[in-house]
Amino acid sequence: MSATTAVGRSGAESWRVLRLPLLITCVVVLGVLVVMIATAARTSGPFSPDSAEPTGAKALASLLENHGVNVVGTEELRDAVGAGSDRTLLVAPGGSLSRSDWQRIADARWSHVVLLRPSARALDVLAPGVQDVSLGLPKGSRAPDCDLKAAVQSGTATVSGTSYSAPDSAQACYGDGINHTVIRLETEGRIVDVIGSPRSFTNAELATDGNAALALNLLGTHLELVWYVPQFESSNTADDDSDGGKPLIPPDVRYVAWALAFAVFVVALWRGRRLGPVVAERLPVIVHAAETTEGRARLYRRSRARDRAAAALRESAIGKLHKAHGIPRRAEPAAVVTTVAARTGRDPAMLYELLYGWPPVDDAALISLSQELDLLTQEVRRP
Amino acid sequence: MVVTGRAGALAAVGVVFVALLMPRWAGVGLVVAVVVLVCLVDILLAGSPRRLQLSREGDTAVRLGEQAVVTLLVANPRRRVKGLLRDAWPPSAGVQDPPHQLDLPTGERRRLTTHLVPTRRGDRQAYRVTVRSIGPLGFAGRQGSHNVPWTVRALPPFKSRKHLPSRLARLRELDGRTALLVRGQGTEFDSLRDYVPGDDVRSIDWRATARRGNVVLRTWRPERDRQVAIVIDSGRMSAGRVGDAPRLDHAMDAALLLAALATRAGDRVSLLACDSEVRADVRRPAPEDVLPSFVNALANVDAELVQTDFRVVVSQVLERLGQRSLVVLLTGLDPAVIEESLLPVIGPLLRRHVVVLASVADPRLTEMEESHADLIEIYGAASAARTRLDRERVTAVLTRAGVTVVDENPDHIAPALADTYLALKKAGRL
Repeated sequence: MSATTAVGRSGAESWRVLRLPLLITCVVVLGVLVVMIATAARTSGPFSPDSAEPTGAKALASLLENHGVNVVGTEELRDAVGAGSDRTLLVAPGGSLSRSDWQRIADARWSHVVLLRPSARALDVLAPGVQDVSLGLPKGSRAPDCDLKAAVQSGTATVSGTSYSAPDSAQACYGDGINHTVIRLETEGRIVDVIGSPRSFTNAELATDGNAALALNLLGTHLELVWYVPQFESSNTADDDSDGGKPLIPPDVRYVAWALAFAVFVVALWRGRRLGPVVAERLPVIVHAAETTEGRARLYRRSRARDRAAAALRESAIGKLHKAHGIPRRAEPAAVVTTVAARTGRDPAMLYELLYGWPPVDDAALISLSQELDLLTQEVRRP
Repeated sequence: MVVTGRAGALAAVGVVFVALLMPRWAGVGLVVAVVVLVCLVDILLAGSPRRLQLSREGDTAVRLGEQAVVTLLVANPRRRVKGLLRDAWPPSAGVQDPPHQLDLPTGERRRLTTHLVPTRRGDRQAYRVTVRSIGPLGFAGRQGSHNVPWTVRALPPFKSRKHLPSRLARLRELDGRTALLVRGQGTEFDSLRDYVPGDDVRSIDWRATARRGNVVLRTWRPERDRQVAIVIDSGRMSAGRVGDAPRLDHAMDAALLLAALATRAGDRVSLLACDSEVRADVRRPAPEDVLPSFVNALANVDAELVQTDFRVVVSQVLERLGQRSLVVLLTGLDPAVIEESLLPVIGPLLRRHVVVLASVADPRLTEMEESHADLIEIYGAASAARTRLDRERVTAVLTRAGVTVVDENPDHIAPALADTYLALKKAGRL
């Protein structure tokens, strides 16, 4: 009999009951994780190789892959500063790369770097001599108008956007004769392409004119293409070229904080565990028997029912006088007054007024009435 | 699964360790791993609370206000169990002991005693026995519960039994069985005996004296084997608290005193607790069984917040009483209820039986009526006076109808009711 007194399931029983649901949950979670990892886009946003939006560049990326180029999309700066020989690096517009970031990219010895609408900082480091002239080129189909083989083969292309002035050593194409949107520069054994109209290569506009051909010719120089989409927080301010300064909190403190949090958790477990559940029970209603009388007193007070209060007090006093003087129950008021007056020596007229008079006109009158009645009954009781 | 203060202390030492020696993720990980490992080992080594074998013995009933002792037998067939044991009862069972310390080596048994002082009438059921078994290292352990049912019934306290001896003495006087040489009072002829100097000369039976040649005395005694039906109103009128207990409890006290007295006087007592339906019903138990059966029947009766249906009361009483009997109705003296519910239906009862209505008065009303310090209290006094006048009026109406009314404070209601019974007996009205 004692074997059955235990409450709840034993460990073995719980395991037997829970193992199937646990297994199913594990399988489902694992499956979802695998699917998510398999289909996860590594990059996102405008001009991302994984984005199928009109502003994305998935079309270009898959076109390149169809032509045997291995496109690696990334949002991490460390992928853009890795070993670079015989590979192409494409830097999408946007982001907040600092000068030192650009310097690290330059130091990575890429054999071919393509900059899409680069900032002045990037131009300074990677394409000295090329300058943003801050003149937007109106949208339109233009001829290459240069000697760059990739451009000449592509024919006309629809370009628009930023244009640059190029040094004499550079090959500048697709411009209005003075400024150009596609500029190729060869410095330090590295080819740097500056392209001012990335919009031409987006999903929306890739198919127009010779845009696709131009993109393939420019980007297909190597079989490996690293497609870097800079992010705004990718730059690490702590080791930036700026002074930075010491952090406000020493880095060790957070480990101590974690250890402390664990200790607090253990202490909470220790203090928080009850020795069995709280026992509940039905309790009876508690009503004081005098509740209704007290309620009526409050009602009298709120409605200033001096007449009713006085009547009750008088009746009660008369009752006591009846008992004390042996006056018959149904005696006339006059008989009561004469008997009591004779016993107590009070003035019968005042006694009549006290016992059978008008209701008190104000609170003070009620108080004095109650005190006089009290005196009268006590007087009667005493002798 | 539980952890102890030692595990918390170990984790706190870990904080110091991380701060001074290893301020790295590895340090935090090490501390967590050590604490978790120590606790796991301790849990695995702790004896299983589930394997304990528990049973109970001890008191099953106790008078309210007295102490019941319930013993828990704990046997451990497995590994040593060391830790705490809590025998959980509802709050009103009034468990006196803190959780028991338990140290039970393999194969041994222990006897743990729980003391209960119930604070309310009725059945109190044991809830659960929870055992916390701490491992040998003292860092963590296991916890498990057992259902070991037991019920302790808190019986009505019968505080008024202190009044019983004096009333029994008066009953013996009435009976003529006292050592005093007074004439037994009552109307039922008892026996003839020889005159002893000092006897009341008024009791001499002259006819028998003439026959026998010496002076013979006639003795009397009160009627015996009458029926007394005690009806306790368990409706809303009895729910109101007077002093520190509901009217119902005072009524039960008075009922028990009356039952004890009437049983000793040779009458047959039956009990009915009733509101809109019958809550307790004891029909003419054997004399030695009266108090136990009443107390048991009343233990679980609580005031219900419904209006008592006096039609049910009257029909139930009429059904179980054959001969002319005493019916004692313990209820409230609320003018509205009495006039609207009781008076219209009490006729049949009054025609065949003697009816006593006993009600517990509230000393609070007297207190209110006597305080006149300020305006608020004067209104209170007026309201209390009105309540009292209403009660007096309804008492007068009931008395005119032939009901004997007993309206007394809680301390006096039981002896007053007993005295009323004795007076009725003396007057031969039963």
